[in-house]
Amino acid sequence: MYGLVALGYHITWATSRTMNFSQGHTVMLGAVVAYAVFVVLGWPFPLALFVTLVALACFGALVERVAVRPFFLRASPAWLLATIAVGIIAENVAQLTFGKDARAFPSPLMRKPIMVGSAGFYPQELLVPVVGLILMGLVQLFYHRTAYGKQLKAVAWNPEAAGLMGINIPRAVMASYALSALLAGVAGVLLAPLLNVAPQMGTIIGLKAFAVAIIGGLTSAPGIIVAGLGYGLVESFTAGYVSTRAREIVGFGLVILVLIVRPWGLLGEKPSRRV
Amino acid sequence: MSERLGWAALAIAAAIVPLLTSNTYYLYVVISAGLLTIVTAGLNVLVGFTGQTSLGHAGLYAFGAYTAALCATRAGLSEWAAVAAAIVVTSVVGAAVAAAALRVSGPYLAMVTIAFGLIVEGVLIEWGSVTGGPGGIFNIPKPSLRVHYWTVMLAAALALWLTANLRRSAWGRACLAVKSSEVAAESLGLSAYYVRIAAFTVSAAFAGAAGALFTFLNGYISPDSFTLQTSILFLLALLFGGLGRIAGPVAGSVALTILPEMLTKLLDYRLILYGSLLLLSIYWLPEGVVGALSRGRRARVVPQPTIAPQPTAAPYPALSPEGRGILLRASGVSLSFGGIVALADVALTVEHRGIHAVIGPNGAGKTSLLNVLSGFYAPNAGAIALGGRSIAGLTPYGIARRGIARTFQTAQVFGGLSVRDNVAVGVAGPRLGTVWAALAGTPACRARESAIRSRAQALLQAMGLGDVGDDAAEALAAGLRRKLEIARALATLPVLLMLDEPAAGLSPAEIAALDLQLTALREQGGPAVILVEHHMDLVMAVSDRITVLDYGRTIADGAPDEVRRDPAVIEAYLGAAT
Repeated sequence: MYGLVALGYHITWATSRTMNFSQGHTVMLGAVVAYAVFVVLGWPFPLALFVTLVALACFGALVERVAVRPFFLRASPAWLLATIAVGIIAENVAQLTFGKDARAFPSPLMRKPIMVGSAGFYPQELLVPVVGLILMGLVQLFYHRTAYGKQLKAVAWNPEAAGLMGINIPRAVMASYALSALLAGVAGVLLAPLLNVAPQMGTIIGLKAFAVAIIGGLTSAPGIIVAGLGYGLVESFTAGYVSTRAREIVGFGLVILVLIVRPWGLLGEKPSRRV
Repeated sequence: MSERLGWAALAIAAAIVPLLTSNTYYLYVVISAGLLTIVTAGLNVLVGFTGQTSLGHAGLYAFGAYTAALCATRAGLSEWAAVAAAIVVTSVVGAAVAAAALRVSGPYLAMVTIAFGLIVEGVLIEWGSVTGGPGGIFNIPKPSLRVHYWTVMLAAALALWLTANLRRSAWGRACLAVKSSEVAAESLGLSAYYVRIAAFTVSAAFAGAAGALFTFLNGYISPDSFTLQTSILFLLALLFGGLGRIAGPVAGSVALTILPEMLTKLLDYRLILYGSLLLLSIYWLPEGVVGALSRGRRARVVPQPTIAPQPTAAPYPALSPEGRGILLRASGVSLSFGGIVALADVALTVEHRGIHAVIGPNGAGKTSLLNVLSGFYAPNAGAIALGGRSIAGLTPYGIARRGIARTFQTAQVFGGLSVRDNVAVGVAGPRLGTVWAALAGTPACRARESAIRSRAQALLQAMGLGDVGDDAAEALAAGLRRKLEIARALATLPVLLMLDEPAAGLSPAEIAALDLQLTALREQGGPAVILVEHHMDLVMAVSDRITVLDYGRTIADGAPDEVRRDPAVIEAYLGAAT
């Protein structure tokens, strides 16, 4: 399920070599907005989903405009900090409007667990990786098969040359941020029934997704999905056999290990040094 | 002068607070600001000087705090011994974390440090038998608040003084050089990895000291004080105060300690406040409060102590008599990127003291060859030997230490350093001394500094840059940048100097001057030169030997006159004569 969120890092990284360090907060916003329109206002689910996704895409574009564009191309960690700043502001705003308490998000797929032997799981839990795989396929198709996707990749490789070829770089980067936030919105809606909705949920989701993105390789969508599944399995094993808290320690330990052995990730491209 | 006044005023203000008030609350607030100053001063070395972002310093702070607490409660050590132990432990932990984490940089590093912080936090909560779990450690013997006030203030002053010393030393220049251009720093023999590890370790030691002092402030500690939010606060204080500025940590720490205290009613809006402050400092205060305040004053010309060049310092020491014959021998060098062949079976033999030009049409592989020779690209095949010893497979800084210096096609001067300091980076090379000596500013360290600076000045004079030594390097015009790059490369006392299109973008007069300088270099017994160049007049005038590349292959090799008449060369440059 982290793979889905981690795809969002991949999309902006593939276009601009920057990313939204508040991707987790974006997921939280997705869940909160969906809760507001679906549960509080009681709109029908398809409409609620649509509204959430549009709102999130706008938020992504906003993040790009406010926190990334001023610093894009500048060799400074400014965009990193600026996206964190936007994230913590978003968390605070959500706290003020939504309240600090976690709320349950109803879903028809959470009513009855499917039993396999003694272990049971909800259909919702199955839905997350399935949607993740489908979206990964679409993202791959977009980058490798469509002209616009190829343009976005060109921007990452050499923004100056891409600009000279007539690609509107600010718009390309903004589009990637909007797309990335849209995926986060999907993730937010899917995860809301599993995790309960709370403004504080963002940080840890974002970090774990980032861990997954690094393990799988920021440049590789399939790597991220595989790593997402693997990470989820490792987590549930540790939680089951050791303790819930050890889950995080093991998970992040894994990231550090991967970075030492293979900094570009399991399926990522090894970056070539340019002099 | 006004800077000294500012420091004096700050010291006096810190000194009279406990005299003016008996309210422990105020003392507590100032102590908190002092602790934050210590951490951010250390963080400044990593982020401000070296350009690497850490979001895990709360983890190191926690290491310091818990080490001190355990020393004081379990081992019964005194406060001083506990603080010392904390510094040692966090330095070791910091070095270990850095060795692992600094294999990556930029956003990856930010992530690894976040992960480190979260692991520490997790362990603190889980490992209850030692850390007391979520409740933390209680009943730590603590000094009176007043005594502690003085301890922390002195420690904060010490922290600032240490970082100021570091900034002025060869280490400080190395950090800034690595931040500005890793590639150029490595070409001067500096290992960027090693410099970053040292910077991280220093910042860890500072965080550890502050953590230990934090323990003795309250007498109890718990994991709540060491979360990701704390790490973000550290970074925010530094950014707000002024990244890379010595006074930045003070300004940021005072502001970020006092502001939330004043706004306690707005507790619910705390994150919005932090987030907005962060955005604000990134947008409008790229150099922080301190940078913004001093920007107005910078226009004023600051009189610099004149540095007399050492009259006896010849820029190049005479080579030993055996330094004759073949210096560099490369054979069978091949390099390809994916399917594109950049170099195919290239051979190159360079003699001592000669000027060897490498020419060829665009895309012939000239710069690729330089990058292979200087270690930036690993060749797919081939042997390279310098003075009979193989250098193939060495790192760029390893090759630089063997005596190969180079310049770059687009001049890579170190921004943020003065022209003289740029050369001083080359003079010092990898010989930085220990980082602890640089922090303390020992007399030996200072003596070495003045020797380095006067040698740098002598080199600048020799290159005709003597008058601009105090200027910012990034403000130089293109022609002067190239000269500076050559001066910096010569500062490493190379046996082989590789120039990548030194005449590109120069005026005819400047090219004529370059011609004279290269010839003078040879007359004075300077290093051998490999010259990659397109200006044929210059090449023909100065070269002893010319190698011509085309499509990654050697098509001619010989004296200038032979090469000029070579049909293959004429064909490559002018097309086939049909």
